[in-house]
Amino acid sequence: MHRRPLIIKAVLATTALLVSAIVGTNASLAADSAPLAPYDAKKAGGTVTLVAQAAAGTLDPKVNYTAQFWQLYQASYDGLLTFSYGTGATTFNVVPDLAEALPAVSNGGKTFTFKLRKGIKFSDGKPVTVADVKASFERIFKVSSPTAGSFYNGIVGADVCLKTPATCKLDKGVVVDAATNTVVINIIAPDDAILSKLAVPHAVINPASAPSKDAGTTIIPTTGAYMYKSYDPNKSLVMVRNPYFKEWNHNAQPQGYPDQIIFKFGITPTAQVTAVENNQANWAFDPIPADRLNEIGTKYASQVHINPLTAMWYLPMNVNLAPFNNVKARQAVNYAIDRANMVKIFGGTQLAAPVCSFLPPNFPGHVDYCGYTKGATPAKPAKAWAGPDLELAKKLVKESGTAGQAVGIVVSDDDVNKQMGVYLQSVLNSIGYKATVKPISGNIQFTYIQNTKNKVQISVTQWYQDYPAASDFLDVLLGCASFTPKSDSSINMAGYCNKALDVKMAKAKALGATDPVAANKMWGEIDQEVMADAPVAVAFTPKQLDFISSGTKNYLFSLQYKMFVSQLIVK
Amino acid sequence: MLAFVTRRISAMIFVLVSISILVFLIFFATPGVDPAARIAGRNADQETLAQVRHSFELDKPLPIRYLSMMRHLFVSQDLTSYVNRGAKVIPQLTQAIPATLSLVIGAAIIWLGLGIFFGIKAASSRRKWIDPTIGFLGIIGISLPVYWLGEVVNLFTQAKLHNSVFRWVPQLGYVGITDNPFQWFLHLLFPWLTLAVLYAGIYVRVLRNEIRMVMSEDYIKTERAKGASETRILYKHATRMSLITLVSLFGLDFGSLVGGYALLTEVVFGIQGVGRLTYQSLQNFDLPVIMATVMYASFFVVFMNALVDVLYAVLDPRVRRV
Amino acid sequence: MSLKESSEAIFSESPGKIALRSLRKDKRARISLAILGVIVFLSLTAPLYSHFIAHTDPFESTLDATIMVNGITTPVLEASTTGLGLGITPIGPTWNLSHYFIGADSQGRDVLARLFYGGRSTLFIGVSSGLLCLLLSLLIGIISGYYRGWVDAIFSRVLDIIWAFPVYLLAISLSVVLLTSGLSLGFIHLGPGSFALPIFIIGVVYVPYIARPIRAQVLALRENDFVRAAVGSGAKNSTIIFREILPNIIPSLMVFIPIIVALSMLTESALSFLSIGVQPPAASWGTIINDGLGLLYTRPMVGIAPGILIAFTAASLNLYGDAVRDALDPKSRARGD
Repeated sequence: MHRRPLIIKAVLATTALLVSAIVGTNASLAADSAPLAPYDAKKAGGTVTLVAQAAAGTLDPKVNYTAQFWQLYQASYDGLLTFSYGTGATTFNVVPDLAEALPAVSNGGKTFTFKLRKGIKFSDGKPVTVADVKASFERIFKVSSPTAGSFYNGIVGADVCLKTPATCKLDKGVVVDAATNTVVINIIAPDDAILSKLAVPHAVINPASAPSKDAGTTIIPTTGAYMYKSYDPNKSLVMVRNPYFKEWNHNAQPQGYPDQIIFKFGITPTAQVTAVENNQANWAFDPIPADRLNEIGTKYASQVHINPLTAMWYLPMNVNLAPFNNVKARQAVNYAIDRANMVKIFGGTQLAAPVCSFLPPNFPGHVDYCGYTKGATPAKPAKAWAGPDLELAKKLVKESGTAGQAVGIVVSDDDVNKQMGVYLQSVLNSIGYKATVKPISGNIQFTYIQNTKNKVQISVTQWYQDYPAASDFLDVLLGCASFTPKSDSSINMAGYCNKALDVKMAKAKALGATDPVAANKMWGEIDQEVMADAPVAVAFTPKQLDFISSGTKNYLFSLQYKMFVSQLIVK
Repeated sequence: MLAFVTRRISAMIFVLVSISILVFLIFFATPGVDPAARIAGRNADQETLAQVRHSFELDKPLPIRYLSMMRHLFVSQDLTSYVNRGAKVIPQLTQAIPATLSLVIGAAIIWLGLGIFFGIKAASSRRKWIDPTIGFLGIIGISLPVYWLGEVVNLFTQAKLHNSVFRWVPQLGYVGITDNPFQWFLHLLFPWLTLAVLYAGIYVRVLRNEIRMVMSEDYIKTERAKGASETRILYKHATRMSLITLVSLFGLDFGSLVGGYALLTEVVFGIQGVGRLTYQSLQNFDLPVIMATVMYASFFVVFMNALVDVLYAVLDPRVRRV
Repeated sequence: MSLKESSEAIFSESPGKIALRSLRKDKRARISLAILGVIVFLSLTAPLYSHFIAHTDPFESTLDATIMVNGITTPVLEASTTGLGLGITPIGPTWNLSHYFIGADSQGRDVLARLFYGGRSTLFIGVSSGLLCLLLSLLIGIISGYYRGWVDAIFSRVLDIIWAFPVYLLAISLSVVLLTSGLSLGFIHLGPGSFALPIFIIGVVYVPYIARPIRAQVLALRENDFVRAAVGSGAKNSTIIFREILPNIIPSLMVFIPIIVALSMLTESALSFLSIGVQPPAASWGTIINDGLGLLYTRPMVGIAPGILIAFTAASLNLYGDAVRDALDPKSRARGD
């Protein structure tokens, strides 16, 4: 086997969360957006087989934070709200799921009143009650959900729950009334992203009897079209139809087509491709190995689906360590890297596009500009990236006085990332540094580069949107609050903290609740201001390639969860 | 004799304990392996991180962590993974054992068969070219990097010739013998052959040299002088004597392979055995699984080692003093 | 693994001169030395090849280079233009020694030039770790065999631990340490990409295989009349070790050298294959195999060629080892073949 288990999935794979207020992403997405077609019972049946190199860890929907399993949760677990089925921009819409309708908002945007649907049962036959809803919200804290402190810290009483999770009570934050079947959620301050936060898997409804710690490989009953039959992280995950499921909202939790969904683990990416080609599997999870791309693009072209992703590959540069504590050194890297070459390593122009703005194309706030291309400067940017400027880069390095310094490039050791590292080393050497590549296991690279104790100067990493809001890129990745020295969880890898910009970002966020258009314009300016400081170099924006077998029909792509597994037709 | 066995067993326990401590220390001395942030999830809050660290006892001093891990591994046997939270380690190991056993036993049959047949042939054949030819093939066998050989085999059976000669070769992986004996055989055929190449090379060479050595002993000459036939001498004396060496060698090899030393073969052919589990856990920096697989592997290695020692002691009392 | 067998041959003592003479006559020895000579020569002259013949720097990424093939300008890394236009394929073998004789890797680097450079790393690591291993084994084997008692007991347990210790764990952990922060042991500082780590790991791992037979041999020698006589006459231990013990062990060491070097080379390539040996952009045959695996479907030659070189080198070393053993072992000659 020549490709290590790619556990960049923690990064690569994480998911999209939408601020419902700012849905209008772009015209091309809106054009092909449509609701889900009616269910065709004649096409139901059969088994869908998915293959992956490795499982994604715990099956607990309140703890798992990977796209690999979130993709499955959509067909099995339900929250009060969820992201809609359909195509195009529709899939970014939040729709009522276990709640009868979107909540009534009162108290200046701080109280949300839901009515729980009646007659829905868990896959173990027990009815879903408002007590389950309350327990599920408390469970977010009891199991130390990764987003407990970032998504749900605004619920009244969450502060105490975060400190003492074991005894978490949200008596004031989640008020339920069994008689009227209502659920009232109180938050401490208005939050324009609250509906999206309630729609992601971490907010799904589990039975009140679910364990108060991470359930791990044990199965929690579901409410959706499918339930889990068995899970062995070294072997497979088996989903079967939930016998108690009856469709209540076609767009929120539609009936699925296959009778069974099997996710097999432990299959190398190249064996996955072969399995799909030979109709032994319906879909390959891992990125297609570079040496198989041409083959599937020619012989199996009709089975390939390529969709845009709002994501980026970028190089954080540690602004607190030499040589990148010097802005000219950081700008030099931005000028020097040949983004077209990095696209080549990733698989070619069909699978990625060079960019140098922080916000990806088709993203709220994105402006087409590039300050670091031949003939442009951050003050006088060009429209798009055209080519590297090595001469200017060399000049900047010289001016910065950092020439000749040693630079370590920490990359994850899978094929593509390692190659990026080797390429960067070549580039950094050519502009006057003494660069070394340090490929370390993909499983620890992502946390390793975050910790200031490890003194990482420059690294290669990826960011996939949580939700299409500029704050999810700029504020999360470069805000002062995301920088915690000496911690493995410090997502601001550059260690960049610009107080003035932080204030401006807070303003843009506040503005977003009332005037998204003006806010996005402001984010566009922030983008350019940040990039003038160059705490990172953005390389390119990747696309999602799905390869399905010839017998697999009804491929539908969700911007939120990628391919809809339950809608695949194999009969 | 009893004292010798007791001494050997206590030495064994000493070695196993030392290895477990070393593995533990090496793991925590490696930078960036702290599993808390990986378990807690991307961009987790510092408080959440602290709670996760606490729930995995990662905030306790090293000796306590070590003892707790050993207790969970050996006493309560409920040690769970750092990566696949909640996944118990021991069942993962026991589930991987059949695949490894299938691989190793099948390969062993092939390499013993080849080794014994060609070893005897090389030592006894009167035709001049046979011995050097077998010797040369043996050298090739021990000189091929096993992972490379595996990948080349895959290249032909899975890709280049998959649509013609090797259409019948199933995709990489392992199918249990109880699930489908025929598929089990097909899936393992090439892994068996690949793994057997190396050992067949070794065994041919050892056996050939052993037989030649015995054949030159004085008592064989006496037998020959007495008029015993060459075939009788070859099988009755030389081969039987040489097989003793082969058996002890086999004990050691078999022990280490069952313990997971077929790691590269399992990885290349995607066989979900102990070696692959070890490899994956190393890749994931999943200490509980690493610890379990390492303990299991070292147990086999140390045990077979001790067994061979004891057997020698039975045969040769002088060894006991040592 | 092939060490186990040669440990059999070790117990015999042998006069050196006859051995050397018969070795010179041995056809196997001549052929294997000739092959090894060619491989060593090509590795040592790697810079000459890449500089004067291929005109390329095998450590620099040239993702947008182009070359002339049959008068046509061809990119070294070619984007697919058929079907969906997915994927980039490096140029295949040109069978022209002046550029990309056996093709390029995914960084657009000349694979043949990298193979020659890789030979340097692989041979250097193989020989150094082989010698380190012999040295350590000799030390441990002689000390435990000669002094016996508790010294022997301690060393035996240490050997047991090394014997059963998971090499890959050690290698992975140490390589993370080395890669990320470098390793400081007193005044020695090992930077990333240092060969010291693979040399050390491989050198230590095989110590039990050699130290044990040496110890057994020393134990036997200790009981010999001439050693007893020397001890009885009150000679110093060091004198006995150097005058009486060591000369009797040297022949067995000679048998081990080619085999342990071959084994070290194979281990080096396995570690590099698992990305824990030689670090990029440096090359060893193992890392080139690793690079080649990502191109197995489009450019299989990148992965196959270094494997063939490893097999050739290891086979020559093993063949030479056989010749040495037969030359040193009078019994094998007595066998009359």
